[in-house]
Amino acid sequence: MGLNRRRFITFAVGGAVGSLFTPVIWKLTDDVSIWTQNWGWIPRLKKGADSAVPTVSKLCASGCAVKVETVGGAPYGTKGNKDNPLSGGGICPLCASGAQLMNSPARVKGPMKKTGEGKYDPVSWDEALEVLAAKLKSAAGGDGKALFISGDDSGTANEVFSAFMAKLGQSGFYYMPGEAQAAGRAWRETMNGSGQVGFDIEDSDCVLFIGADALDSWGPTVRNQKAFDATHPLGAEAAAKYVYAGPVQTRTAAVCDKWVPVAPGGAAAFALGLAAILIKNGASASAADFAEFKSLVLAKFTPGQVEKMTGVKAAVLADVAKTLMEAQRPVVVPGALGGGAAGFAAGAALNVLLGRFNAKGGMVALPQAPKVVSGAMGPAQALGNDLAGYLAAVAAGKAKAPEVAMVYEANPVYALPQAETMSAGLAKAGFVVSFSTYLDETAAGADLILPAPHPYERFDDLQTPYGLGRFTYCLGAPVAEPQLDVRSTPDVILGLAAKLGQDLGFETFEDVLKAKVEAIGGNWDELAAGAAFTRSGQVSGGVSLGAATLGQAAFPAKATAPVAVAPVMRLNVGSGHVATPPHNPTTIRDTELKGSVMCVQVCKATAKQLGVSEGSKVKLTGAGGECKALVHVFEGVMPGVVAVPLGFGHTAWDEFSKGKGDNVNKILTARIEPGSGLTTWAGSTVNVAKM
Amino acid sequence: MSHGHAKEFKVRWGMVVDVDKCTGCGACMVACQVENNISPMVRQDKENYLPSMTFERDDPSNKMRTLTWLMVYELSNRKDYPDHEVAFLPRPCMQCGNPACVPVCPVVATDKNEEGGIVSQIYPRCIGCRYCMAACPYHARYFNWFDPIWPKGMDKALSPRTSVRPRGVVEKCNFCHTRFLKAKERARQEGIDPNELPEGYYTPACVEVCPTGAITFGDLNNPEHKVHQLAHGKYAFRLLEKLGLDPQVYYLTKRDWVRKQGDNYLANEEPHAKKH
Repeated sequence: MGLNRRRFITFAVGGAVGSLFTPVIWKLTDDVSIWTQNWGWIPRLKKGADSAVPTVSKLCASGCAVKVETVGGAPYGTKGNKDNPLSGGGICPLCASGAQLMNSPARVKGPMKKTGEGKYDPVSWDEALEVLAAKLKSAAGGDGKALFISGDDSGTANEVFSAFMAKLGQSGFYYMPGEAQAAGRAWRETMNGSGQVGFDIEDSDCVLFIGADALDSWGPTVRNQKAFDATHPLGAEAAAKYVYAGPVQTRTAAVCDKWVPVAPGGAAAFALGLAAILIKNGASASAADFAEFKSLVLAKFTPGQVEKMTGVKAAVLADVAKTLMEAQRPVVVPGALGGGAAGFAAGAALNVLLGRFNAKGGMVALPQAPKVVSGAMGPAQALGNDLAGYLAAVAAGKAKAPEVAMVYEANPVYALPQAETMSAGLAKAGFVVSFSTYLDETAAGADLILPAPHPYERFDDLQTPYGLGRFTYCLGAPVAEPQLDVRSTPDVILGLAAKLGQDLGFETFEDVLKAKVEAIGGNWDELAAGAAFTRSGQVSGGVSLGAATLGQAAFPAKATAPVAVAPVMRLNVGSGHVATPPHNPTTIRDTELKGSVMCVQVCKATAKQLGVSEGSKVKLTGAGGECKALVHVFEGVMPGVVAVPLGFGHTAWDEFSKGKGDNVNKILTARIEPGSGLTTWAGSTVNVAKM
Repeated sequence: MSHGHAKEFKVRWGMVVDVDKCTGCGACMVACQVENNISPMVRQDKENYLPSMTFERDDPSNKMRTLTWLMVYELSNRKDYPDHEVAFLPRPCMQCGNPACVPVCPVVATDKNEEGGIVSQIYPRCIGCRYCMAACPYHARYFNWFDPIWPKGMDKALSPRTSVRPRGVVEKCNFCHTRFLKAKERARQEGIDPNELPEGYYTPACVEVCPTGAITFGDLNNPEHKVHQLAHGKYAFRLLEKLGLDPQVYYLTKRDWVRKQGDNYLANEEPHAKKH
């Protein structure tokens, strides 16, 4: 039987049809689709027990109470801790990336020693500590030879650091400038306040934020957002009125009932304008300087004068004052972004005039946790030290440069105002040591890098982060063993102290924290399980209205260039301490960053005045440096103001932030505030030129 | 499922997003990427690198190439200073009752037939034709232009819940479907009917982390769930409601201009009556 054409076709078609009735084709098709999607470079998921371990995350400035999700013991995700009042289940966009930042390519893998410009060799911990001990020994004798900069303003670790410095005979312990530092100093020095100032916004029915972008980047952001959540129930009328006053329609302004545009540097004048209206309507205070304050605001801060200084029309000012007066439990929350004492003091004085000091839903003076490390610097002295002022003096040759500078969880080379001047000041230090988890700009220029563990790998704590309205203490215990050759910085310092013959009273940082927990009357096990220790009660005592300082400091600085700068911090972009995490670039809009160029925002009127339009390339020049940017026209910026984004322009870190945009800290102008003597950069001005 | 005849479900998982409470912080977008193993956008694919033939990958500011299952849009009332207003609108997949993406899929890689009404996406079956992306009026679907790459060491932090997708397939929000499976498992263990999950048993990652409580999640059909009441409230609306896709995501706002933009009305057009 030969194979003719007909038989061949019958056989082929029959075979094809027949095979459809077998599972072979379907199985092969299925397998092919799976094979072609499973390549060696596509990672496989890890299996293991799934759990959520509570701790604290110190990636954002204030710190978040979190639960770290782990699989087989390895962290992979981060969510809020519902049982902790700092979180209430919420989380900020920086700490949401916590597990990813733990495995970030920017992490320093072990101790490193500088061998040349930009060149580092790995060294052992023993060798590194020998080098540092020798440097510190040679620096002993005479204050001013060593400097310690801490970027963590709520941790007990600072007690170890400052006590260590004190034993070395050094008083140069500084916090990075920020809200806590500026407010803390203004509260104590300008207003004679005691304790730690805070704001009970949870219990307030009217919150006026003056420059405090509280629902995005100011203070304990997540707790602020939770307070907003509680007073703004879904689909129902709000139980509290929120007003935001500032030059830019920030994310806080976006959800507030009202946005009151106030020119940069005009926050104090705006608050004193409100104070004048309140006093005219009978407000009074028992403060010793009330008469001086009254005559100051009635003479110098009339609605007409305030309009000239801040751009706020008299009717708008009167309307805000009326809102405050009509509320049952109003509170004013002043921001200090830009340093200085005036903005904070004027806002705090408003609270006193409203009778809202140490009142429910008002401004409160909170007790502070007792010190446990003997010789540690008290908050008054630590907050009073002005790092920006000191480094500017060192850069100008007016102060002696330290022989050894130690930097913990801070990035002063990048994040200080007028950054280039400040980093020049730090560069004059004989030997710079960075205790950084990440290869940030400061670590990248340091002589020695002694990497700290990520917050999920170490013991740490949060003592009433600035802005809270209640005494609150949270503990962070390690969630995972460190994968890299890192050591907890306070433990390193305790070891170094022993090496230098100092006795700080503790062998490990865990012991320090146990002593702290005992001192506040907390329970270690409960705190380690994620609970917060809170205590009601305030520090009584009168405060002044800061009239003497405000009389000199509350007036906006004279402009030296045509356009005022309004720096805007967005937590998803990063903070001064942590650059953009790997998952966050997709959350940054293309109106904020285009390719490697950042966008600055101006309104149509300003764009016209500057001769620029959407997408124009511009150069912004300030007293200490310049920045390149694209223009984005946004009507939520006051005329005459350019809104500039903080958090871009890193030169170290990793590909997710390096070379993206420009560092606007460079164009801010640091100056000494009259009256308080503090360094401020509020009301900085720049020239904007089309490129 | 044929277009125009929506399948009825006893349970309809849905979201209600209060636009007036969203600050646009981005925590939800980060949590979504972490939960669903969306890889960070790296510049170079070192595994498949051929000198002079491999181009660097796109930058995350090229929003045509990002994978944002949940995208927070910035809305403007388009008025000049000082009358300008801004709002933020998070947009997950709408899990439409009558989805435009399902009938166009030539390989049935996406379907709406599971109790709960979540529109599925079966990655191994997807052939990457992107018809569904063209059909979706919400731009909720994304194409994997690149193989997912985690920088060295970061793959240790992969979520165990979601498989990693290769390049060439379309993906989208599925209301963190593995959390749904886990919730049903928990219900079974506790002797509860998995088709009547109590409120709070099943919560997608974005809802869980939102610090302002702007997103609520639950069964739209269950009067005991908060979303049921909110979706029927006077401030509720849905995006592009006039298209009739019956989204399972509702929005709340007290601002008329936001509501108007939600349905993309012309300046002189009056919004239609609300439909539920």
